Amino acid sequence: MRAALLAAAVLGVASASIVAPAGAAIEQQLNPLPRGGSYVIVPDPTVGSAAIGLWFRAPGAGYDNATPGIANLAATAAAVSRLASGKSLYEFVHSIGGQLSIEVFPDIVGIGAIVPATAARRVVAAMTAAYFAPSVDENAVKIARANAAVLGVQQRYESDATLHDLLFRQIFESGPAHYPPLPPSVSQLTSITAEQVDAFAKRAFRSENAVLALTGNVDASSVSAVTDGSGSGAMDAPFDSTLAAAPGSATSTGAVDGVGLAWTGPAISDPKAATALDFVADYLFRDETGIVSRSLDRSDSDALVSGQFITLHDPGVMIVTIGGGHEKQAEERVLAALTALQQPLEKRAFDAAREAFLYHVATDTQTPQERADNLGWYTTEGNLGYAPGMGNGSYEATARELDPQYVAEVVRRYLGKPFVVDLIAAAAPQRESSP
Amino acid sequence: MIARHALFALAAFAMAASPLGAAASFAVPVPSVESSGAATIVRQPDANAALVGVAFVVHAGLDRQTLKQSGLAALVAQTVLRTPVTPRQGQSEALPLVDAVAARGGSIHFTVDPGDVRFYIEALADDAPAVLDLFRTALAAPDFSPATVRDARDSLVRQIAQSQQVALQVGLDMLNAASSQDANSGLPELGTPNSLAQFFSSDVRGFYERYYRNGGVLVSAAGRLDTLAPGALGSLANALPEGTTSPIAIHLPRLTGATHEIVAHRDVPSPWLIAQYPAPKVDSNDFGAMLVLAAFVRRTLSDIAQVPGVVSPTFASRSVGALYAYDRVPPTLVLYVNGGLNGNPSRAFATALSVVGLLGATRLQGSIEEFKAEAAGDFANDATTLETRAWLAAVFSRESSSPDFINRALAAIAATTPDDVERVARTYLGNPTIALVLPRGTNLQD
Repeated sequence: MRAALLAAAVLGVASASIVAPAGAAIEQQLNPLPRGGSYVIVPDPTVGSAAIGLWFRAPGAGYDNATPGIANLAATAAAVSRLASGKSLYEFVHSIGGQLSIEVFPDIVGIGAIVPATAARRVVAAMTAAYFAPSVDENAVKIARANAAVLGVQQRYESDATLHDLLFRQIFESGPAHYPPLPPSVSQLTSITAEQVDAFAKRAFRSENAVLALTGNVDASSVSAVTDGSGSGAMDAPFDSTLAAAPGSATSTGAVDGVGLAWTGPAISDPKAATALDFVADYLFRDETGIVSRSLDRSDSDALVSGQFITLHDPGVMIVTIGGGHEKQAEERVLAALTALQQPLEKRAFDAAREAFLYHVATDTQTPQERADNLGWYTTEGNLGYAPGMGNGSYEATARELDPQYVAEVVRRYLGKPFVVDLIAAAAPQRESSP
Repeated sequence: MIARHALFALAAFAMAASPLGAAASFAVPVPSVESSGAATIVRQPDANAALVGVAFVVHAGLDRQTLKQSGLAALVAQTVLRTPVTPRQGQSEALPLVDAVAARGGSIHFTVDPGDVRFYIEALADDAPAVLDLFRTALAAPDFSPATVRDARDSLVRQIAQSQQVALQVGLDMLNAASSQDANSGLPELGTPNSLAQFFSSDVRGFYERYYRNGGVLVSAAGRLDTLAPGALGSLANALPEGTTSPIAIHLPRLTGATHEIVAHRDVPSPWLIAQYPAPKVDSNDFGAMLVLAAFVRRTLSDIAQVPGVVSPTFASRSVGALYAYDRVPPTLVLYVNGGLNGNPSRAFATALSVVGLLGATRLQGSIEEFKAEAAGDFANDATTLETRAWLAAVFSRESSSPDFINRALAAIAATTPDDVERVARTYLGNPTIALVLPRGTNLQD
């Protein structure tokens, strides 16, 4: 699955899964954009809106991993810079009744717009102009810094996002995934100059490094609105990170309490194992229906557990975050549930859970925006054909191949000793210590 | 300070530039409507969907309850969901309908409206025929055994406990009670734990037998309808006996005075301030203008609350909002401020009320095109899930001659003039009813 934080972000800059529908024979292939890069389109003429996504491979902390936050600043600055029309992309999308979202992950950047269908072509033109020919000045970077600073402070009060970043720092000892897309200190943001941001934008947001995803009430003629870009090369190679030697534990102080658990999983090149871990996350942790979620609801209405397998190029990451109180008891339930899954589920229970999983995949990816996000994410992570619920239905077919024995074997293989982060709320300014 | 904010907001309204000049035209296929006996069937085929979604609407809502029956409509609907059915042929173990549907790759839930109960069933396209069969089985013969009714009641009590922690829901419940045309249609959607405790199985059975009739049933379906047999949707309505029912009219004296305030204390972490105004139905000539007004108010509130210079949504900008509930009877416009996410909720709320008050009293100048665009975008972008599409088609079909919700709403917005906005503001945005939902242990002076 793609990182779940995407679903809620609207011009929000999130840190690092999602799933999709198994529609009838939706075409799904990459096609060349007129001036470099590629596009994929899944039209649905029965809705009144269109979703346009523009995705890039880009290291969140810069090409030398020395400037955490730079991808965030560049993506935002490009969105607020004036275009030839006099309006920025951000202003333009809002003026036509749409919403713009910017999603920054350790290794990719995704720009998304959901707009009335009548405006799709003009948004394609404006979005590709803003990113394929970025013109980032000091004022735009100033806005981007302020934006990132506010979001950074806000994120301190979101245990899920905070734990996510802390766990990734534990799992990856170096590389882009070691760094949070939003740096924790404002000084890190202000130390990045406008020139650095502009240079990063011009390198990362090249047309040849992009995939344009079009869904909803839109057709391929919108692609002719792309008038910027000059690339003839290929998308950058994936920006993978270096794994830590072994799982460990860490304690951090922050604004809220929480516990985070994480395991490294299969790469996107092993779709069956990745799908098995998607199934496990759905079976145990889906809100309202997950085995663990339901048991917690009965015992303590404040406890909140979320879990997902994040499909990445290599490796993927299973992550579970716990907040809301009684975290340690909840952690015990999570670990006990995972231990139980090391043995195969009874077949009838497994069949029902798999059917429910397939339904959840479909219902979570039915809107144009969800589909565009999936197309963009899976293309940039390296396997468009595996985008859940999309296109030829390969994800659904893979899910239907799962059986109790295989899932138990994948759990035993990947979900052993976890990386653990204890987040402790403290009145004092944020400090950290790692053993 | 309040006045300055309000004037600034009005100036922004007046200065908005026209962005719609070059908009291309497009049309979304119109849902089809047919009669099936005493029921109405609305269809929206979508070959690109993976799912089938079906809204089943029956006249068995709040207005079929007496004042002593608060929660009975919900208890009957929940009893249907908890009725044991066999998920697969040949399988001996029966599961509650809601679990059986999940095991077959789907989901089901219900909503109690003032006049109706609507069930929404969604399933993978290939599983949809079997899932709808499960629903039809439970709908035709709910299990009114004490065990199932008790199970249903327990489930409702848990849902009530959860909703009582959602301040906006608490406020809306109070406001809906105040604005309802009849006393019973303003009762809480799920009842209360005390009211639910009074019902026996015989009460549940009696309500079902009296009000679950096929007269006026509306079945609205969207998605991969090609996977369903031609008569599958009509057979859902035919699961109920023939007949029509009437609401129970219970009139109590309404609150008098210009502006009303209702205060409640709940286990919520922060105070919420909520204002409700009457609003037009979807078949009104005022519908488009109210959509534009709602977009304007939403934008203004967000601008007031937002952290200056920040373009991403923040806790602050999400702490305020405006909801035009045109699908509810009677329709309303609601403004809200979450005091926990807003540095000065009183100021934000007072500013919002001032802006709305000025809209009703001031002649607007300048273009409204940007707000028309925002209204169109909000409507189109919010109508993309199968559940929303099925429900909106049902609402438009019920309220007018056409279920063409997208094209009609967009046309109504496009035709809106500044004069329309002024007229609608003056007609509807006069005296709000205000709800304050406060954390326990606090009072108004806090």
